[in-house]
Amino acid sequence: MSKEELRNKNASYRSKLLGWTILPVTLLLIWQVAAKYLNQPWIFPPVTSVIEQLAHPFRQHYASGSLLSNTLISLLRVLLGFSLAAVAGVTLGIVMGSIRIIRSALEPIVEILRPLCPIAWLPFAIAIFKLKTLPQLFGIKYSRTIFDQIQLGMIFVIFVGGFFPVLTNTLDGVTGVRRNYLLLAKTLGATRRQTFLHVYLPAAMPMILTGLRQGIGLCWFVIIAAEMMTGSESGIGYLLIYASDNSAMDIVIAAMLIIGSIGALLSFAMRRMMCSAVRWHGKEV
Amino acid sequence: MEFEDSSKHIVDKPMALELRGVSKTFYSDAGAEVQALQGVDLLIRHGELVTLVGATGCGKTTLLNLIAGLDRPDDGYLHLGEDLNFGDNIAYVFQHYTLFPWRSVLRNVTFGLQMRGVTRSERKNRALELLSKVGLSNFRDAYPHELSGGMRQRAAIAQALAINPKMLLMDEPFGALDDTTRRELQQVLTELWQEQNTTILFVTHNIDEAIVLGGKVVVFSERPGKVIHEFEIDLPRPRNRLTSQFTDLFMQIRKTLSGQLD
Repeated sequence: MSKEELRNKNASYRSKLLGWTILPVTLLLIWQVAAKYLNQPWIFPPVTSVIEQLAHPFRQHYASGSLLSNTLISLLRVLLGFSLAAVAGVTLGIVMGSIRIIRSALEPIVEILRPLCPIAWLPFAIAIFKLKTLPQLFGIKYSRTIFDQIQLGMIFVIFVGGFFPVLTNTLDGVTGVRRNYLLLAKTLGATRRQTFLHVYLPAAMPMILTGLRQGIGLCWFVIIAAEMMTGSESGIGYLLIYASDNSAMDIVIAAMLIIGSIGALLSFAMRRMMCSAVRWHGKEV
Repeated sequence: MEFEDSSKHIVDKPMALELRGVSKTFYSDAGAEVQALQGVDLLIRHGELVTLVGATGCGKTTLLNLIAGLDRPDDGYLHLGEDLNFGDNIAYVFQHYTLFPWRSVLRNVTFGLQMRGVTRSERKNRALELLSKVGLSNFRDAYPHELSGGMRQRAAIAQALAINPKMLLMDEPFGALDDTTRRELQQVLTELWQEQNTTILFVTHNIDEAIVLGGKVVVFSERPGKVIHEFEIDLPRPRNRLTSQFTDLFMQIRKTLSGQLD
């Protein structure tokens, strides 16, 4: 390693140290001092009481459940809705991207529905699905599990939120497949079905994963907003608005920190998956 | 070691490919008419290694695409030998993007066999055999982006040969390589051709390459592309670039090519 490289490495190490420890700790200290000075915890609670809330994730907050149970409910809603969106989005994206007629037939509908904020679907979804839950879909009135908190309307809204980023990115990925790869597959004897599976799908994989990453991020945004709407009775978004109504600002901030961390974790996990799954991306030759 | 040139004895071999008066016109997005090929006549016999030389953009790629069945001629007659079938035994090697970047070298070579439903162990054996022939045994698990340009084209040749093609179409496959690598690969290709008895149509803009490889050199005119002359190359293989016959041929082809520029 040359001197300059060493210097650069040290510099980046120092900025990382600053970004991960010194800066956050300083901010927390300022926050703590300011909150103590202000002494109005229902508006601006001290760090210590927020940490105290985070340290007790099982504590029941009136009728709204604990930080942990509500977080799990939100996560489960997102994972279910997003999985459906991923399967549907990737499949339709590949079909639309590779079959011109289907693409031109569906494009207008997609273009009209895509810019629509997923939250705008919520009243409609609740009207359609009422407050029907996932177990009720299978004829079980109460399963006495977390699934009783999984309303179909919520799943639908999450689905809408995740579907369009996955679809449009997959579509871009598929239409961007180099013609050479298709010709190559054709001359090597691939059938139409084999071309879908062995050329379109892997060639579009970097874009598909980008779509999935955007999609899950958006789903996490959408679920928080959806849970804050009237009619909701569980989830971390619900706990946040409930705590706010009860002037429990320490719980509000604890919920915010949890929401932010989970969003970052989801994004990080997707990025890791992306790096290992498509090492070749951007290195086509 | 000297190989006897096989093109001498090929005249009575059955026809692999015949083109008569083949024309093809494209329309650009702006609606402009671009005539790529005009009245191309070409006859290739089984087991021949024919090189097609012409300036860049003279419709050579269009011609290969027509032969590979990736496109249709507007006019004229294109006839394949009896045992040749599109998507079955006509392989194609491009200059760029000729390997699937998401597959390892080994899985690139097995692609064609996988599409044919050949068992995993069988296709692996076949691929390993071909990889050793092109000198890539140690790189079976590498990905295309980890290979040098020359290694990639070696892998591409193995990938094409894996399906046991009756005909191999090559579109300036060595065009992006440095001189030394290019010569190595010309040697590899020549040896494989002598061993496999495959018909090869090799497109290049490099006259030297055309003479080194070809049993016959077909000279193509500028757009619209058509055949202006064919040279039978009777030189023994491996070919020595420093003989007077070689340099004479080089000059003749050079003149034929530039002659129609004037």
